[in-house]
Amino acid sequence: MSERSAALLPNQGTDFAAALSAPPVNNLRRIGGEMFAWSDRDPQRSEPLPRGAVLRHLLSRYAGPGRTVLVAGPHADEVVVALADSGAAVTWLLRSLIDAEDAARNHSRVTVLAGAAVKLDAAEKFDLVVAADGVDRLNSAEGEQMTPAQLIDRLAETVQPDGVLLLVHDNRLGVHHTVRLEPGSRERLDSDWYPADDENDVERPASPEQLAARLAESGLTVAASYAAFPEPATPTVLVGEGLLGTVGSPLRPRLGTALSQAFAAAFRGRPVLSDPRRLVNRALRAGAEGTVAPAWLVIARGPGEAPAVDRHALLIGDAQGTFAYEVASAADGEVHTTVLEPLEGPIEREGLRRVSEPKAPGADAGYVLEERLEHLAATSDLRQMRVELTQYDTWLRAQAQDGLVSGPVALAGLADVFVTEHGPSLLPTRWESIEPVPVDTAEIRAVWQFAVQLITSGQAHPWSLTSNAVDLTATMLGMVGLGVDADRVRDAVDLHVRIEAADQGLNLSDQHDRRLQLLSVSPGAAQVDVAGYRELTEALWRQRYQASHLLAMMEWTEQIIKSRDLQVSKMDWEVQFYKKTWAGRFLWISRSAYRVIMRDGRKFVRGRRARKAAEAQANAVR
Amino acid sequence: MAAHQQPAMDEGMHHANYHYGHAHLLARYCELPDPLHPPRLQGYLQHGWNMGDGLAPGTPFVDGSKIFVWSEETRRRSWSQGRRDVIVVGAPFAYLLEMEPEPADAPEPEGTIFYPFHGWEGQQISGDHQKLIDEVKKVETGPVTACLYWNEYRMKGVRKIYENAGFRVICHGYRGFWWRDHNREFLVGQLKELRRHRRVVSNRLCSAVWYGALAGREAAVYGDPMVLDNADPTFGGEPRLRRQWPELYGHHTDNAVTHALARKQLGADELARPDELRAILGWPASTERVK
Repeated sequence: MSERSAALLPNQGTDFAAALSAPPVNNLRRIGGEMFAWSDRDPQRSEPLPRGAVLRHLLSRYAGPGRTVLVAGPHADEVVVALADSGAAVTWLLRSLIDAEDAARNHSRVTVLAGAAVKLDAAEKFDLVVAADGVDRLNSAEGEQMTPAQLIDRLAETVQPDGVLLLVHDNRLGVHHTVRLEPGSRERLDSDWYPADDENDVERPASPEQLAARLAESGLTVAASYAAFPEPATPTVLVGEGLLGTVGSPLRPRLGTALSQAFAAAFRGRPVLSDPRRLVNRALRAGAEGTVAPAWLVIARGPGEAPAVDRHALLIGDAQGTFAYEVASAADGEVHTTVLEPLEGPIEREGLRRVSEPKAPGADAGYVLEERLEHLAATSDLRQMRVELTQYDTWLRAQAQDGLVSGPVALAGLADVFVTEHGPSLLPTRWESIEPVPVDTAEIRAVWQFAVQLITSGQAHPWSLTSNAVDLTATMLGMVGLGVDADRVRDAVDLHVRIEAADQGLNLSDQHDRRLQLLSVSPGAAQVDVAGYRELTEALWRQRYQASHLLAMMEWTEQIIKSRDLQVSKMDWEVQFYKKTWAGRFLWISRSAYRVIMRDGRKFVRGRRARKAAEAQANAVR
Repeated sequence: MAAHQQPAMDEGMHHANYHYGHAHLLARYCELPDPLHPPRLQGYLQHGWNMGDGLAPGTPFVDGSKIFVWSEETRRRSWSQGRRDVIVVGAPFAYLLEMEPEPADAPEPEGTIFYPFHGWEGQQISGDHQKLIDEVKKVETGPVTACLYWNEYRMKGVRKIYENAGFRVICHGYRGFWWRDHNREFLVGQLKELRRHRRVVSNRLCSAVWYGALAGREAAVYGDPMVLDNADPTFGGEPRLRRQWPELYGHHTDNAVTHALARKQLGADELARPDELRAILGWPASTERVK
């Protein structure tokens, strides 16, 4: 058991009895260097396994009956199963003996090689080599160690002349490394017997160009290259040629929204140095997303007659499951979405349904409403902000029937709204409402979500920096003439929690906690999704600002009360003075008399009515 | 007048929000149930046009309070002076114009309303009223109304000088002090007077000139600017006014230009909608209106 495990994590150790009792498997070959008492599937010991719908889609293009495939390193089972299901002959290299044995048992069609990449048979070549995990887990703790560059070479050598290599290569300059906030991370993972982020290895390719050059030395040509987001292990957004670095691309606005959602999902609840979305957004503006992408995914061909390689500008897919689609623009700038891999089946949760046919507006010129509003907020352009919000309000209400709105638009945030010269339209969304939602609730949720973002991300806005989310929501909706109070915001937050519950599979307890957290977004609230340290310190600053103001206000209020007491005392003295004059006394007596008459008069009238009623009742009984 | 007695402390922030009936007017715009007695504003409302940080000079300031200013330019300037929680709401007078647009059948305006530059309770001006009057009489062709600040209006000597010049002499009333004796209809009366006249002139660029320009009147600033006894030079004083807004100086000015400038200075294009303003000022939302 490691020191880390001994100190922090209970480790079950190796179950030797289970190992001995397990039936032998004949599709497992131990090639040497295999690790004992080790598993790459344990998240406490090793990084997550590569997976995702986009990855599966790309692989499906090159696997098939009669083709040989090498899967190098640990991958999620679903990836290997998909390859085997295509009819290809799959060989899977795993360094962990436990993992290899399990793999061999669970996937009888797959040939499993247990050991280190250095022991691979140099003579054995494959039509498709899959290294979606990169090269960092191809070395074993045992025996000879290969450098990352050598491992890339080694993988390239296993590709048939007419074969294809799919390699995901971690970018050390990637935003995921930049924002990492893991004290003790160097010591956290048992897999890091050498640091995984050694930036001084001059041989290791540090850019897509260097990677292509390295592969070229082994005779491979990069046919397609993508910047992969939001994490190397789960590339849910791939940005390819035509869009990568092209600031003027009509796909740009969709990319911004897709990346924002992808990073929110991947980094939710994870402590980071700073919200990666801000960094990525800046990179997008500079056309530098390729530079800060967490990884690059390359598809390289051998010198022979390798199959044609598709190129996509923008691929978006689920982290789990099969659903993937492409967003592309035609030569005339028209933008369209194409579902590449459908949902495995309809998904319905919390009264919401997963969207299976994402739509993107056709127009190529426009802007994402949320980005526009952020800009207007930062520049205090209230006039234009009212115009934008009014346009949004009109558009949303035009889709309502009897005050109810249904479909994807009912759950759309301002980041899902794309404004073209023809007005707002909807970007691809993930969920739609099965039952209609009151249009007010839908609108309040969208604007409230934006307000939360403004506050918790520390972005500049033209309103009080001590505003809470309800204040800001009320102010912004006041711009369109919609009066909002805390109760109406509560309904909107309930809807929001339903969306999160559907998307993230929150249980009832999680939903309850989440609701409380969202309802209490105040100036001192840190981020409600990604736990950024920078954003936390900004929240702390706002909290201190508010606290010091409240202290000053208390002092002021004390002074005001003293001052008002003095005024009241003076006025009381004046009143008493006037009461002492004859005129004052007359007025005072008259007023007292009037009060007595009114009081007793009312009493008399009430008594008479009661008596009459009693008499009438008595007569009726007789 | 009891209101003139110095209270236990210096002029405070909140009572200044009620000067000229500002808070009352905003309450009316927001359709609050009792606009004559508006709830407290959660911050300081700029109560006169100024070229500083939006607060009147010497205003005691509670650290971290919100400041509601009239224009984006004032917000920027205020920020540059170390203020942080500064929010643009627009001038109450601009809201009044929104609520009371000029009727189509309004009588043709005539003559000039003249605002001799005034000090305030704490500052008296030095200058030659007669010289100023002579210049006004020379330039203005129609009847002239002189509108005096309440403390000058109370000085018979000063009033007499203007009356002897043949001017109609008026006063918009007392702006109020320490929550007492406010003329809640101050701005309403001022707008009415402004609309009676074709021109609004003054010897110093001030709120009234901007109000006139916003109300569509020809606005001009000329004559001896008269200096305050203890004018605060922090923000450049009178010379800066001429340098920064020369378009309003001279006997005659360009209406379109002065109107456009007034819209900016008074935040006429930044005005919040009623529900929005309620949220900003910390007043209850309209859904809570009926109780």
